[in-house]
Amino acid sequence: MKGPTYSSVNRDVLAPLFTPSAAYMGALSLALAALAWGGYCWAIQLIHGLGVAGYRPPVFWGVYITTFVFWVGIGHAGTLISAVLFLTRSRWRTGIYRAAEAMTIFAVMTAALFPAIHVGRAWYAYFLFPYPNQRQLWVNFKSPLMWDVFAVSTYFTVSTVFFFIGLIPDMAAVRDSTRGYTQKLYAAMCLGWRGTDRQWRHYMAAYGFFAALATPLVLSVHSVVSWDFAMAQTPGWHSTIFPPYFVAGAIFSGCAMVITLMLPLTKVFKLEDYIHVWHFEHLAKLCLFTGGILTYAYATEYFIAWYSDNMYEWGTFVDRVVGNYWWVFATMVFCNCIAPLAWYFKKVRTNYLWLFVISVLINVGMWFERYNIIASSLAHSFDPAGWVYYVPTYIEWGIMLGSFGWFFTWFLLFAKIMPSVAIAEVKEMMRPPLKSDEEVAAK
Amino acid sequence: MATMNRRDFLRNAAVAGSATAAACTYDPKVPVENVLPYVNQDDDVLPGTAQYFATTCTACASACGMLARVKEGRAVFVEGNPDHPSGGRLCTRGHMVLTETYNPDRFDGPLNAGKPTTWDEALAGIQQAVTQARADGKAVAWLGQYRTGSLRRLLDELGAGIGLRRVHWEALGAETLLAASRAAFNKDAIPSFDLADAHTIVSFGMDFLSTSLDTMHFIDGWSQARDPQHGGFVARFVAFEPRVGATSAQADNFLPPTPGTEALVAMALARLVHDKVKYSGPASALVGAVDVAAAAQASGIPLEKLEQVAGWITEAPSVVLPGGHANASVDGTALAIATFLINEFAGNVGRSVVFGRELQLGQVNSYTEVKALLDDARAGRVGVLFVDGVNPVYNLPAADKAGEALDAVGTLVHFAREIDDSLRPASIVLPTGSGLEDWGDAEVVAGVHSILQPAMLSGRDTRALGDVLLAFGKALAPAAAAPAVVPAPTDAAAKAPVEGEPVAAPVPTPSSRMGFDHADFAAYVKARWEREIYPLAGGTSFARFWVESLQRGGFFQELPKARAGLVLAAAPTVTGLAAGSDPALVVFPHPHLADGRHANQPWAQELPDTLTSFSWTTWVEISPATARNLGLGETDKVKVRTEHGELEAGYFASPGVPDNVIAVNLGNGHEQMGRYGTGRGANPVRLLPSAADPLSGALAYYSARASVSRAVGESDAFAQIGNLDQDGRPIANIVTVAEAVEHVEGKAGSIVHLHEIPMDERLTSTGITDMYPEPQHPTYRFGMAIDTNVCTGCMACVVACNLENNVPFVGPDQSRRGRMMSWIRMDRFWEGEGEHQDVRHMPSLCQHCAHAPCEGVCPVLATYHNLDGLNAMIYNRCVGTRYCANNCPYTARRFNFHSWQWPESMHLMLNPDVSSREMGVMEKCTFCVQRIRGVKDTWRDVGETAPDSALQKLTACASACPSGAITFGNAKDADSLVAKKWQSPRAYTLLGELNTKPGIRYLARARFSDGAVSDAGGHGGTAPAHHEEG
Repeated sequence: MKGPTYSSVNRDVLAPLFTPSAAYMGALSLALAALAWGGYCWAIQLIHGLGVAGYRPPVFWGVYITTFVFWVGIGHAGTLISAVLFLTRSRWRTGIYRAAEAMTIFAVMTAALFPAIHVGRAWYAYFLFPYPNQRQLWVNFKSPLMWDVFAVSTYFTVSTVFFFIGLIPDMAAVRDSTRGYTQKLYAAMCLGWRGTDRQWRHYMAAYGFFAALATPLVLSVHSVVSWDFAMAQTPGWHSTIFPPYFVAGAIFSGCAMVITLMLPLTKVFKLEDYIHVWHFEHLAKLCLFTGGILTYAYATEYFIAWYSDNMYEWGTFVDRVVGNYWWVFATMVFCNCIAPLAWYFKKVRTNYLWLFVISVLINVGMWFERYNIIASSLAHSFDPAGWVYYVPTYIEWGIMLGSFGWFFTWFLLFAKIMPSVAIAEVKEMMRPPLKSDEEVAAK
Repeated sequence: MATMNRRDFLRNAAVAGSATAAACTYDPKVPVENVLPYVNQDDDVLPGTAQYFATTCTACASACGMLARVKEGRAVFVEGNPDHPSGGRLCTRGHMVLTETYNPDRFDGPLNAGKPTTWDEALAGIQQAVTQARADGKAVAWLGQYRTGSLRRLLDELGAGIGLRRVHWEALGAETLLAASRAAFNKDAIPSFDLADAHTIVSFGMDFLSTSLDTMHFIDGWSQARDPQHGGFVARFVAFEPRVGATSAQADNFLPPTPGTEALVAMALARLVHDKVKYSGPASALVGAVDVAAAAQASGIPLEKLEQVAGWITEAPSVVLPGGHANASVDGTALAIATFLINEFAGNVGRSVVFGRELQLGQVNSYTEVKALLDDARAGRVGVLFVDGVNPVYNLPAADKAGEALDAVGTLVHFAREIDDSLRPASIVLPTGSGLEDWGDAEVVAGVHSILQPAMLSGRDTRALGDVLLAFGKALAPAAAAPAVVPAPTDAAAKAPVEGEPVAAPVPTPSSRMGFDHADFAAYVKARWEREIYPLAGGTSFARFWVESLQRGGFFQELPKARAGLVLAAAPTVTGLAAGSDPALVVFPHPHLADGRHANQPWAQELPDTLTSFSWTTWVEISPATARNLGLGETDKVKVRTEHGELEAGYFASPGVPDNVIAVNLGNGHEQMGRYGTGRGANPVRLLPSAADPLSGALAYYSARASVSRAVGESDAFAQIGNLDQDGRPIANIVTVAEAVEHVEGKAGSIVHLHEIPMDERLTSTGITDMYPEPQHPTYRFGMAIDTNVCTGCMACVVACNLENNVPFVGPDQSRRGRMMSWIRMDRFWEGEGEHQDVRHMPSLCQHCAHAPCEGVCPVLATYHNLDGLNAMIYNRCVGTRYCANNCPYTARRFNFHSWQWPESMHLMLNPDVSSREMGVMEKCTFCVQRIRGVKDTWRDVGETAPDSALQKLTACASACPSGAITFGNAKDADSLVAKKWQSPRAYTLLGELNTKPGIRYLARARFSDGAVSDAGGHGGTAPAHHEEG
């Protein structure tokens, strides 16, 4: 017969959980190597101080905060796809939402490393948590960095719970195909799932509830992150457009990242039966939409800088185009505003190679967007005596590479121990097996 | 184990236990420190309370008064002595006396050919060598810096006793001025220049605000002449100089003559002034032959301009300053004589060019005499050579082969604290104490007798130079026959000078031979004071006079101004620069390293140059057009070549350098120095010919032509200041002189035109412009006023702040990454060009905002606004997110990127009142909170608030500022000076439109309106300025 059957879904989706291929092992080794290099670089930084990074005062934030915002942005698409698209009953989410959600959690986990990496005294980073202590220290709730702590930790908690709830039926499927010690582990994770009607009813209610709870977070977390900048008065940061602009950018980069991750995953794990070009096309369309918002936001920033008649603001924006950081600006505009336009052509957005290339470009562009905002604004602030050119060092690039290693290590482990496509939901989409099918087959 | 008995067990347990304890407590990063109480506590010492010693600065020959603050036996800070005629001012280099004292490269004891030896052995060897040399008919010679006071006296007597051939020379010496003064006025002293009442100041290259002699006196006059409240005028400063330097950056009219024609211009100006005032006298003949038109033609300065300058000189009291180092050409003396002529014609001699308070530097020899001595040494005719505080190998042109000459000396003796280029492998090194450790005195300005008293013990095996000389005297010339015949002081000299009556400067004439029979040099100084200075004071008890003098820092007579008659016989001949098409090479002193003597002081190296903001290296200044023609990129190096040598260095495309000039700074390029000075930059003296000014014998620094080309490699010169100008932003603002003089009082409101952001009337009318309430300041609102009109950008505030607040130096690599920790950054904005160069300096520091942008964003409340109006910082709480620094519009915050290190012995210099900060912590200006606390507590103990007089100069920067540009105080007190300055019509707050409500207000600079004013901040109305350029 054609197409997947209930049993083939289980077999195909669970296959990667049993025999790791050479490609998988290779990818995991690469990720671990990158992680080790990042760890080494961080160790050097902890020993010698932040001076090993390229900071050039008054540029006090650089690659670390850029990468932090980048990962928080990546972390956006997962919840959007799993929660918002669930609530709007968009059918195309089923094939991809599991991996997208995992990506979200790992991206937030990666992002959460950076505040600790970036502070001068990482060993005191816990000062940022408000808890009663005998040191009589308290935190400053006026500070956007404090809001960040709450926004990111809330987002992480809710996404993780949502993720594990979504996993329950699939964990039961894994439990049923394993034995011994492993089986006990999966049995614990599926919380005694037996697939009864009663369980399904409760499960669906809980899932819907968490989807509703997670939805506002999609908007809030990146709005709060954008306030790190918008609440400061540095020209180039101090702007009311930042929250919507950052949220659009985050969804844009997150969807691009889903494409970048899912395409190889589909190929390597042979999941083409479940994840089609059709899924990717939808993601590409979402990128086109959010990319449009982003381009509009860029234009608005320039218009307001000019229209406000504020020489500092305008000076910063002009400097971004013609100053030391012109190449960052050019990369950003090309990757975020121009390259995705190719997806207006159906041929391009249904071609795996082009999908992959442009999605990678978008990720590069979105990283540079944050770099452009952070570095070029600080390097061209109010007082011309403080105009400098900040260039990152190998330590910063190493830690950034390490963050990719960290992210991919988690993602690859996820692909090995959890079904990367939601088995239960895929089955929901399928026509149930009928007696007549068997008869047709017999003939 | 059966064999272990009770005793063994206890023994093992004790060993194991103590080893465990040691292992647990040992942390290699935390040095073991023992806090020891005094066994016998000195009555004067109260732990935690500072003692002040009045002494004299030894950083240069000017001998300004200095106070050393001593805590628990260690000097931790130096500042100007307000009781001294230098007026409580201390320049950047004066602060180096402190770092010199603690320099880790100091010699611990005497050395003989590099090997440690004892004083007795070293002295015995030298005495034997002296005896031998004299027996062999070889010279015993002395090559040293200028010495006055008791040391000069001791040298005179010792020299007479053993036939010492003495040459006193300094690289930035006074030979030219002295020769000109002798020729023009027949005076063996340099006149003093009073700027305070001069409406026009004309300079031919004198670096009077930075590295010249007597700078503090010049700055005193300068700050008065520039202050519109003093006399109701603002002095115009006209500079005829080849390049814009640290001093001419302040010029209102910068007129660079074609190199080599400076003396012609001066003569032409003399003629013009002569004609304008219709001078009639014998001196008329001197300028009769001057062809003004030809001079104008040759110099490239239009005749009308010269006439205009002559008009300024004649229409009101003025002063014309003779050439400094930039004009140390083969015509140096001729130029200086010409300036004296101008002053004579304009009636300035006796008014602004005065004798009486004149400068005497002791024995002054010229460069040619140094050369003669070295020639003799090279020929083997010098048996023993003493070198005292000069560095001929570094400071003489290569052709003089100073190193070879020193090597040929039989016995070479160095009085030195640290290694320098002139130390040879065979040298005997006799380490002397620093300026804070030895006894001594100085008499540079006539009537000003300053005392050097030790503020602390050396801790090293050093001896004062005077002690060594006394020992030589006792051993070598005990019976040096008859005392030099000198007249006893007359009654007239001892009498207090009569007001208005010119008296001869009371050079303390040796009454009789002092001899060498004194216990030590301290006793010698005291004996001389008793014999020679005390009679001048005419008191009743020497013991009391001595104690008072020690407390005051010396004995100071205010001598009346005296004029001197012009005795010049013939007009000086002008040679001019050697012909050629290449640009002229100007070698100028580094503002902080001077002639290179401070090159091993890390602070002198790290302090950015006043104009370029380069540090830790040598640079080449070329015109922007030259840089463009060479296609130079920002990090490129250039090669400067003359027929005598070449060097490579980074460059600065200075708008203040004409196309026909290349300038290189002196100070770096040492082959042999301590850890901070060796192998840094290049030595420009190597480019110079062995040429001298024929009239004075001074080294002609400005006598070569050089070519410049692009070199391979990356420049090590990195600017701490980002942009050349302020890009049209109202940061360092100006007003016109006319406005400033008209609105001296604050009735007219502000006359500074700022960038105003229009606000909605509904907000302003209801007064709800702030989201948060105004912070409460119950008693004090500490604030500051900085008058940019008198600020010269000298950096004394920066270095004083660094030393007071334990701000670390970060070294060349980190400086290049822009991570200097100085809490004050000297902003330099180079507006205008050509004649109307407009270089604006502005100390930029934490503004202690009432609505501080840094405070709200700190997630851990490490920075907050306190009840005294200070923006306070809690280091222990800081996690290092650096958000505060990002949000500070003044970029005033500094971050500890590493744990900065003070090397062994330098850590003893740290101020115990201020904690040092660790890696990962933010810091910034605290308004010297430790001093504020001290003063507040003192006055609270008597139930009062601190009076304004106790606060005006409280912070380290305010106390150091030589021009008095910085005023500190309680802005809540309407009678305080700072509150009054805040109300000045020239006052403005930096970036005030951000509504940060700073605790610092700047007073705008006054510029003459003929200087084309080009910035948006200064003029052109209140229309918000703009983006048209984009």
